[in-house]
Amino acid sequence: MSIASPINLILASLFVVLLYYHFKPKAAVTLPHGPAPVVFRTYTPKTLIEFNGENNQPVFLAVRGRVFDVSPGRNFYGPGGPYENFAGRDASRGLAFQSFDEEMLTKDLSAPLDKLKDLDADQLENLQSWEERFSEKYLVVGKLVAEGDPEVPAS
Amino acid sequence: MASHPSPVEQLDALVANVLADWNIYTTVLAGILVAFVLYSVFSTKDPDVHPFLLARQSTAAPVRLSGQSAAYRSLETPHGFPLRLGLNVKDPGAPKWTGGRRGDLRDIWRTAVRGAVNEDGTPSGKKGKIYTVLGREIAERSLDQVTQEINVIGQHLQKVKAKTVAVCLTDSTELLAAIFAGAFYDFKTVLVPHNLSPEILSAHLKEAQADVLIAEAGSLDLSVISKANKQLSLALWVAKSGSRHMDWNEVPKDAKKSLQVAVWHELVESSKDLAGFEVPSYDPTTKTPTVSTIWPSSKELGVFIEFKPENLVSAVGALGSALPRTERLNPDDVVLSIDSLSRSYPLCQIMSALFSNASIALNSVAGEKVDFALATAGVSPTVIIASSGTMSDYHRKIMQPHTGPVSRLGRSLQARSLDAGYMPSQNFFSQITHVGPTAELSLDKLRLLCISHRFDASPTTRLTSEQLTDLRIFTGARVVYALTAPGVAGAVAQTNAFDYRRLQGPSHFGAPLSSTEITLTNISESSPSEDGPIEGDINVAGPAVVAPSMTLVARGRISIDNTLELCP
Repeated sequence: MSIASPINLILASLFVVLLYYHFKPKAAVTLPHGPAPVVFRTYTPKTLIEFNGENNQPVFLAVRGRVFDVSPGRNFYGPGGPYENFAGRDASRGLAFQSFDEEMLTKDLSAPLDKLKDLDADQLENLQSWEERFSEKYLVVGKLVAEGDPEVPAS
Repeated sequence: MASHPSPVEQLDALVANVLADWNIYTTVLAGILVAFVLYSVFSTKDPDVHPFLLARQSTAAPVRLSGQSAAYRSLETPHGFPLRLGLNVKDPGAPKWTGGRRGDLRDIWRTAVRGAVNEDGTPSGKKGKIYTVLGREIAERSLDQVTQEINVIGQHLQKVKAKTVAVCLTDSTELLAAIFAGAFYDFKTVLVPHNLSPEILSAHLKEAQADVLIAEAGSLDLSVISKANKQLSLALWVAKSGSRHMDWNEVPKDAKKSLQVAVWHELVESSKDLAGFEVPSYDPTTKTPTVSTIWPSSKELGVFIEFKPENLVSAVGALGSALPRTERLNPDDVVLSIDSLSRSYPLCQIMSALFSNASIALNSVAGEKVDFALATAGVSPTVIIASSGTMSDYHRKIMQPHTGPVSRLGRSLQARSLDAGYMPSQNFFSQITHVGPTAELSLDKLRLLCISHRFDASPTTRLTSEQLTDLRIFTGARVVYALTAPGVAGAVAQTNAFDYRRLQGPSHFGAPLSSTEITLTNISESSPSEDGPIEGDINVAGPAVVAPSMTLVARGRISIDNTLELCP
């Protein structure tokens, strides 16, 4: 009768392995980092137009000076979508008139922002409800100012 | 065929060979092995909270400003929703589906006096009590008696048209009664720390433009104060039970015209039949006056912080809900504050205890640096509110030197269960290991320690993660550790009661409360800090902050688990 028989050795080593796993310090749980927060920026019509969704850029559009990141709704607002004209542009007038045509946009990118002075009550309400929907669904990632505004960041 | 057995037969022969060696040692070994497996299966417990909730304790906003970090919020109040505004008071008779009111101090007192309610809203008849610890003696008061005092004092101060009442008392029922009387009878209360020199107190009264002073009889020289404070019209003395036979109604000669003197217990005695035990009725839509406290600053005097009732209720609500559901204050608790009520964290915690119908215990020696063992003697609290100064002192002077080899062994065993995410169970063995480090304590029922740290307090009082572990193991209580700042009611951030992780160096302060939002400003944009911790000046905003937002004169860091740390 010997203590060093193969079966005893097997059981003993099994015991050691179990002990090791029991007392092994467990690695702390860490979660992967979420996406880095987007930096809030000040855009002009000229810098905003780059974000029209082409070449995998995010899709931004501006409503009354607020720039929304509508990339989650790329199918609608991105290239090929029904609202693609708005991508990278100030969409206020188009949304107020409920029209998605090109002539709703301010063609000259260096022109002052559309002040929307000529809207009637219905159109303003329409714009208001669009704006509310956007702020519910999408992030405000910046503000839109006209070219030459003192707030424009020096590049 | 027979000379070449199949692999199965070979294996069978091998197993038979090995098993043939089975002997008594093998049986013993197998027994140990089975016992160990059974032990490790049955001794594993689920962690108190899912580890993922500790791995990311607050949420960052998806958008940030340049030069600033994203705003960090408690998991209770996601971005896009309002922060916690108040107590969510539901009036009886209000439709069930309506949201509650923010509430104010009057609702806290009314809830405390009403007592605990059953599930269906009927009173269960269980009411908290107020204990005052005076050395070895304990005075017990019912909430009804205190209501009566609130009524008497409030009506008297209303009669003399008090606008601003300075309260310069040790922690006592009178201090609490004065604060609530202010809310019910419409005067501002200014909580001035006691044991100040007459000159400094006088300067405080001047700055606050107090017209009434409530102070301990015999604790200060009225003539010094009345000389510098012409606006002061009434001094209300609170006489200790041992000195009530004296006549405290004397007025200094040079102030006889302008200054009146009254004595608290005489007022209560003479008009208690008129005042009654009823909580005064009130219109919840009216605003209650402010409560001011003094934040000790580098200036000799300190700065006045005027808390609006909205700030206080938001902090009280947030402190209550920051505790995990099973750890919330409840009617069976006795909450002892050994930190002065003239500081906003203990004040809001005591309010939260009253709102939860817990009993409270006040200690006349309470302050930022007190002897933990002495201050907790006499009562058997379930929850203690203390400052980091008190606890680090206690740990350094008593707990650490008295940790012998046996305690250290027990500690290392119990730290394993903390690492696994649950509190070590209290048994005979653990009691033996605790005898040394906690020899002077009598805290059998303690379940929660609430420790607050002033952001500008000396770094030596900052508790390390290991010290908090010691406190957890040796007192058997869970610990929350909060960061306080001037202008923020309650706390800026507080650790999760279930966060037992043992980390390196000074402990973090957990996630922001649901009443605040933390942003780090002045961060360096150049360093590639995508994955590393973000460092910057701590900026606090939210309903618990007196100003729209406030930047502390301190650098903070948001670590990988989204908890706030102070930079050394």
